[in-house]
Amino acid sequence: MANFTLNGKAVSLEVDPQTPLLWVLREHLGLTGTKFGCGIAQCGACTVHLNGTAARTCVLPVLAAEGGDIVTIEGLAENDDHPLQQAWVEEQVPQCGYCQSGQIMQAADFLKNTPDPTDEQVTAAMAGNLCRCMAYVRIHRAVKRAATIANERATSQVSGQQTDATAATAGVGTFDPRATAGTVSHSAVEETSHGKV
Amino acid sequence: MARFDDKLAAHQRELAAAHKTSSSRGGITRRGFLIGSVAGSTMLAFGVSGAALAAGADGKGSASETLSAGAFEPTMWYAIATDGTVTVHITKSEMGQHVATSLARLVVEELEADWDSVKVDYVDSAPKWGYMITGGSWSVHQSYQPLSQAGAAGRIALIEAGAQQMGVAVESCKARKGRVISGDQSLSYGEIVAAGLERSFSEEELAAIELKPASERRVLGTRGNALDVPPKTNGQAVYGIDYTLPAEIEARVGKTLHARPVMPPSRFGCKVTAVDDSEARKVIGYRQTIELKDPSGICQGWLAVIADNFSAAMRATDLLKVEWSKGDSYQVDETAIQAEGQRLVSSPSRDNGSLLVDQGDPAPLLENATTTVESTFTTSSVLHFTLEPANALAYEEDGHWHIHCGNQQQSLLTSLVTKALELEEGKVTHHQLYLGGGFGRRLHGDYAVPAALASKAVGRPVKMIFTRPDDSRFDCVRSPSVQRLRSGLDAEGRVVASEHAAAAGWPTAALMPAFMAEAIEGGGKLDSFSISGADHWYNVGTQRVWAQQNKVAHEAFVPGYLRSVAPGWTLWAVEQHIDELALAAEQDPAEFRLALLDAEGRNAGKAPVSTGGAERLRNVLKRVMEKSGWSERDSLPADTGMGVALSFGQERSMPTWVACVARVKVDRATGEVKLEKLTSVVDAGTLAHPDGAMAQLEGSLLWGVSMAMHEGTEYREGGPVAQNLGAYQPLRMHQVPQMDLEFVDSTEMPVGLGEPGTTVVAPAIANAIQHAVGVRLRDLPMRPAALKAALSEA
Ligand code: FES
Ligand code: FES
Repeated sequence: MANFTLNGKAVSLEVDPQTPLLWVLREHLGLTGTKFGCGIAQCGACTVHLNGTAARTCVLPVLAAEGGDIVTIEGLAENDDHPLQQAWVEEQVPQCGYCQSGQIMQAADFLKNTPDPTDEQVTAAMAGNLCRCMAYVRIHRAVKRAATIANERATSQVSGQQTDATAATAGVGTFDPRATAGTVSHSAVEETSHGKV
Repeated sequence: MARFDDKLAAHQRELAAAHKTSSSRGGITRRGFLIGSVAGSTMLAFGVSGAALAAGADGKGSASETLSAGAFEPTMWYAIATDGTVTVHITKSEMGQHVATSLARLVVEELEADWDSVKVDYVDSAPKWGYMITGGSWSVHQSYQPLSQAGAAGRIALIEAGAQQMGVAVESCKARKGRVISGDQSLSYGEIVAAGLERSFSEEELAAIELKPASERRVLGTRGNALDVPPKTNGQAVYGIDYTLPAEIEARVGKTLHARPVMPPSRFGCKVTAVDDSEARKVIGYRQTIELKDPSGICQGWLAVIADNFSAAMRATDLLKVEWSKGDSYQVDETAIQAEGQRLVSSPSRDNGSLLVDQGDPAPLLENATTTVESTFTTSSVLHFTLEPANALAYEEDGHWHIHCGNQQQSLLTSLVTKALELEEGKVTHHQLYLGGGFGRRLHGDYAVPAALASKAVGRPVKMIFTRPDDSRFDCVRSPSVQRLRSGLDAEGRVVASEHAAAAGWPTAALMPAFMAEAIEGGGKLDSFSISGADHWYNVGTQRVWAQQNKVAHEAFVPGYLRSVAPGWTLWAVEQHIDELALAAEQDPAEFRLALLDAEGRNAGKAPVSTGGAERLRNVLKRVMEKSGWSERDSLPADTGMGVALSFGQERSMPTWVACVARVKVDRATGEVKLEKLTSVVDAGTLAHPDGAMAQLEGSLLWGVSMAMHEGTEYREGGPVAQNLGAYQPLRMHQVPQMDLEFVDSTEMPVGLGEPGTTVVAPAIANAIQHAVGVRLRDLPMRPAALKAALSEA
């Protein structure tokens, strides 16, 4: 018998205690937002929060989560409106999308502990999550954007404003993962044009 | 030139004709467009049938009757519901390129619909859709004309009907955001279709519709969100690996069992000699291990472990003991493959392939040239490594098979399953889901075969998932390649002749031999996917290009299509060779390219697809020189260099014009290369969805970086040496360079964007390394050890 809290609800189920938590979530509990990529804790697609910390569930026997508090992508925010989820849409991050639950869960843990991250901190925190579509430019941008959204929400200012960074992706894109905060340059581009520089 | 896409078009016509003859109506085949009510909403559809004319132009029977009777088989269509919702049916696969968004945008632009009322639906496979394939960066390009026309026809019909309902003249009406407007009156599209909409267009009427001028565009070329993004941020998007059969289906066909394949030591010729599952039996949920008998030959010596859930199947497989007699292919390794490649390119012949370009014999010109430059380039095996590993769910009901998985070539997948299960035609349907990466891996449908065989054996639905190493072992890898180029310069440094031979495994020969094409009349069949890119837009005098099939590669694995396919290796060679020639001519490599891009003769381009020809490549090159600070190239810090490379996408018949400059810094002590910056300028004509286009450019360039410096493996002992992330290491965020990207503002025909960026990066980096430290790397991937060794030799 395995017992834990999942997205705020108590769960008990009969399962082989050696079953990796990933497959308990996906197969026994039907929560398929958490993905299987490598099975060896190297890609991050299977990331959830266990007792508030990002954990790779493909190598974690359900036994190791006994009594724990688990949050998956499905339970990250009540109306799917976590600052990261909002930023992910604003910045149009996902391509195939398969890595993105893991990216978001990883970033959520990171931002909780680092609410005002530098560009280098974002890169270091996210370097363990593979995006095979190589949507890294936008993942990076969206983590920064989410930090801003969270801070805006905290000071109860209007949230959801589009930034220059968002506009810039339409026809011209610049990216510098190592630039320090505030020095990333985004060329202005007309919202309705796709090539004016 | 008969190329793959021509073959595909011919195949489409055959399918259409075959479909037609089976129809009860007979008569001449016409492509018409019908608008009528079906089951409460209005359907707007192209179709291959005489019915369009019969219903409309001749006035026999209404469009609605024809549509409802099912006599008109739509090949492409959308529907407008009475609440105004526009549903666009998508036959293409959604694998990260936001293709549904782009295609819906084509419809909405001309239909003048409200974007917020748009929905998409990914269709099940069926013969009526024609040949179903998503690849080659073709989707938007090939859909542009028909979907735009479909949208325009809908708008015309809505305006006519709206005018009548409002009692005003058609000329006084315009359509905007899902409404027909005349002065201060207006009707929504929902209201108009609720009152009934009937119209048919003959092929001639359709052809006569003029699309909106670019200045009137309100959707294409503008920013807007992709429809598939929100479900990919909250865990709701359903990929093949996530799919489970609904309870009502399981009530009829049985509960789904789960499986993991047990793969033999090599791809071909293995036989199972002993199986011991005594340890596997200890896993709770384990049921049995079955041998897969595959008449189609895809699974040779395979088993499948069946369990109540995949986790049990996965762990039981690890405990299974199997012995095989090994097939011959176990012995064929990358060294042997590349040795054969070297042999082929040193004396290319018609025994092993064909000519792609033949402008006469360059040999005498090369002999008389002032300077000749000759070099050999290689690339090693590359894995697709889609993050969602291969998987499929298969079941049978009443003699019909259903396959649920993400796939890029439904028509191939269903034919493979038909063959493996020895079924009659038309007994397999593929049901599409989101793809957790495609990159050409899912152009093959091989992974559906073991799932279907297992389901047949156990008589229940089976969902089979490949673990990561299983997926890597079964991958149709990008074949390793060898290329030899030889060109001559005259005394003024002009290129007078050039020959190029490339040897690799041929994906089309392996996957779909019927699609092999003749490039040159009487020249024999070749796989254009093994050589495209070598037919570049530079004027290099008398040019001859040989494609050679490396049959030894085919003994070890099934060569696949990998993002961009041939240009992944041909441009690695061509774009470095051009730099070598520039150096030999003592010219700046960018200026040297500008001179070779004279846009004359065959390089002048042809409207509408390649309007401007090489001139457009010159244009992106000039712009990237400005943007990257090319003029400062000779005053960079020590061991820092800049290199340039160009690409025209995959095919001359659909060129995307790409220029890329890489700036690198080399650490001489370690051979490590730091990629500091990529600057790229792309002309892809009209951008249906600019933000999606930019995402594709960002991702494809980084794929290029990844394959240039981080990926690559080799075939040995029956499989790729690297099978998971321990050894196979695609690019991570901290390795992303600074990037400065730009699209040319253009209203030309849209072309492809999924692939072109991948191929320019590696040669640009190699050229930059040469510029930085005077050493050239000709083997891909570029590893620090190789650079260090080359530096110590220099
Ligand atoms: S699946 Fe767990 S880290 Fe890759
Ligand atoms: S979006 Fe495809 S793997 Fe990240």
